[in-house]
Amino acid sequence: MPGTEPDSLDHLSPGVTAVIAALDFEEADRVRLMELGFIPGSSVSCQRVVPLGDLAIFQVEGTQVALRKETAARITLQPSSAGREPDADGG
Amino acid sequence: MPTAVEPQTATPRGLPGENRVVAICGPPNVGKSSFFNRLTGLHQKVANYPGITVEKRVGSLRLEDGGQVDLIDLPGIVGLHPRSEDERICVEVLRGRSDALPRPVAAILLLDSTNLQAHLRMVPGILGLGLPTLVVLNMADELEARGGSVDTEAVSAQIGAPVVLASAVTGAGMQEVARFLQGSLAPARKVELPVINNIPAERKWAHAVVARSSYHAPEPSLWGRRLDRIFLHPVGGPLIFLAVVIAVFQSIFTLAVPLMDAVEGAIGVSAEWIGALLPDSILKGLLLDGVWGGVGSVVVFLPQILILFLFIGLLEDSGYLARAAVIADRSMRAVGLEGRSFIPLLSSYACAIPAVMAARTIENQRDRLATLLVAPLTTCSARLPVYALLIAAFIPERPLIGPFLGTRAAVLLGLYAAGLLAACGTAWLLKSAVLKSKPAPFVLQLPAYRWPTIRSLTFRLIDRSKIFLRRAGTVILVTTIVLWFLASVPYQNGEPPPIGESLAGSIGRTIEPLVEPLGLNWKIGIGLITSLAAREVIVGTLGTIYGMESDEGSPALQQALQAELSFGGAIALLMYFAFAMQCMSTVAIVRRETGGWTWPAIQFAYMLVLAYSTGFAAYRIFG
Ligand SMILES: Nc1nc2c(ncn2[C@@H]2O[C@H](COP(=O)(O)OP(=O)(O)OP(=O)(O)O)[C@@H](O)[C@H]2O)c(=O)[nH]1
Ligand SMILES: [Mg+2]
Repeated sequence: MPGTEPDSLDHLSPGVTAVIAALDFEEADRVRLMELGFIPGSSVSCQRVVPLGDLAIFQVEGTQVALRKETAARITLQPSSAGREPDADGG
Repeated sequence: MPTAVEPQTATPRGLPGENRVVAICGPPNVGKSSFFNRLTGLHQKVANYPGITVEKRVGSLRLEDGGQVDLIDLPGIVGLHPRSEDERICVEVLRGRSDALPRPVAAILLLDSTNLQAHLRMVPGILGLGLPTLVVLNMADELEARGGSVDTEAVSAQIGAPVVLASAVTGAGMQEVARFLQGSLAPARKVELPVINNIPAERKWAHAVVARSSYHAPEPSLWGRRLDRIFLHPVGGPLIFLAVVIAVFQSIFTLAVPLMDAVEGAIGVSAEWIGALLPDSILKGLLLDGVWGGVGSVVVFLPQILILFLFIGLLEDSGYLARAAVIADRSMRAVGLEGRSFIPLLSSYACAIPAVMAARTIENQRDRLATLLVAPLTTCSARLPVYALLIAAFIPERPLIGPFLGTRAAVLLGLYAAGLLAACGTAWLLKSAVLKSKPAPFVLQLPAYRWPTIRSLTFRLIDRSKIFLRRAGTVILVTTIVLWFLASVPYQNGEPPPIGESLAGSIGRTIEPLVEPLGLNWKIGIGLITSLAAREVIVGTLGTIYGMESDEGSPALQQALQAELSFGGAIALLMYFAFAMQCMSTVAIVRRETGGWTWPAIQFAYMLVLAYSTGFAAYRIFG
């Protein structure tokens, strides 16, 4: 989709990397997600969307983490940070 | 605010107290328990997914200098803000606030060397606790195999704590760990660390440290991605899961048969020896009918249990299970639980007790409660002997899908499915009525795929055999001996009575009206009572009763059952065992985990009603 840049993690397509801007959660949940690697400034890539389910698997800070779509939707991305990851599995 | 944490660099040596308690902490799944096992020689459960250890465990280690260290294995933490029960336990111990343990004199922070950037972030927080700390970069073997490397001295100089590259699997680096424990490892020079409690700052700091430590990150594992593509495929993934499950159940019947015949043969031969060796006496009767007939008929099922555990071990050690949890998330969510509940539920295929404990990793207290309440409905391995016995006696073997799936495996599969359905249905009821809660963000870390090692699988099987045989030698032995005595009194004319007129017989007849609606007779009724202690006890009980009844030694249990039970009665009995809480240890653990008798009482009653009514219905339908 040319022109539409992903603004939150749930819009990141598989194989694309972007940088996390902010986390829109209450404090405790925000801290937990940061402890698991979703830290503003971290680059994150979407590895695959688990079809049927509403989960997606992300690579962030060297670990693979599965998140539900609704959680991913509340993690915003820095504008113009999205780019294709060279070694990603594009599918 | 650039205030710095000043890590203490004293070593554990010279600190007061004879027992030097040293805590092992670190993120989940970095190998803390493997490391603990290697140092202490104990067998803490190890598996390749996060959240295995949920309780503190102490093990001691004798050092070369003669001193002794008590190591504590702890649940994994991702920071010092505990959210779940297991994390709370870890942080309490580290802060010295645990009732059961003294404050540790030192800590070992285990990190994964293949993922240094993310894990170094833990360092300021842990060093800020003020304990002398050794930072162990574990999984050195994997780092090397994937072409990575790190300069530990550079890391040490920057974090102000000794750093060792080690492997809990190969044992590399263990001498240095021992030297730390003896207090003879040179302390590192103090440095300023970033303010703790600021995760973005910690992350920046960790990245900077890594950049100055000639760290070569390991190559990402390509086959890990390929495996994910297969296992998480929308159609292929669930199909593979199903195929795996079918293979497990079929092999429980086919692979196990020769082994079971061997065990059965050995028990038969030894019984004959005893029969020939001992004169006719009470002791002989007790040994042959009570111990050999009772305990022996349970021990026969060891091979089937081991096959089940071999498969569970392969799935757990490879990292496949976490992927299965991802696939299961959707169905878990349909009943109102999160995908994380899947792993406790799955571990109850071994036994409900670790499953009830594993529910500690669920942050949401209501979800945790719902999970531990339904866990005993899923089929634990203590049900396997009962199922296997009844299925072998009442279900003729016929191939359904060629050699891949026969009728017996299919019925067993059906029973496991029934347990799972009951668990999910009950969870749904609980979640939509009493235990409603707002869903928390669902986050599941996926471990890297690893080859299961022969060593780890062997340990699993040895440990499992020990547990099984210990149960046979304690609960089952005691219940069968008590039963044997109850079945041998009161004496009539100096002779033991016919079993129907014994004390056991009259107890059985008293409760017979209760079990008759399920198509069961008083002997099975006695089995239902004795197996309240543990499910497989019923097999031992029936072994004893039928053994005492017949003159020519114990007839094969299967033939005796065929004579006693109708087909409908057998199905009713299977249903009863599928759903009833025939396990006092589970009741006790649920009481402990929920802090009172209310929930275990409700759980027990609910399961009994479910078991009785489905048993009743089954007998009506199948006659
Ligand atoms: N290659 C390799 N694998 C290891 C090493 N140490 C542990 N493992 C594996 O890593 C996985 C996790 O090990 P555990 O010891 O259960 O990890 P833990 O940190 O206790 O995990 P939790 O109790 O869940 O927090 C297992 O599959 C181990 O076999 C190591 O040094 N090298
Ligand atoms: Mg552990």
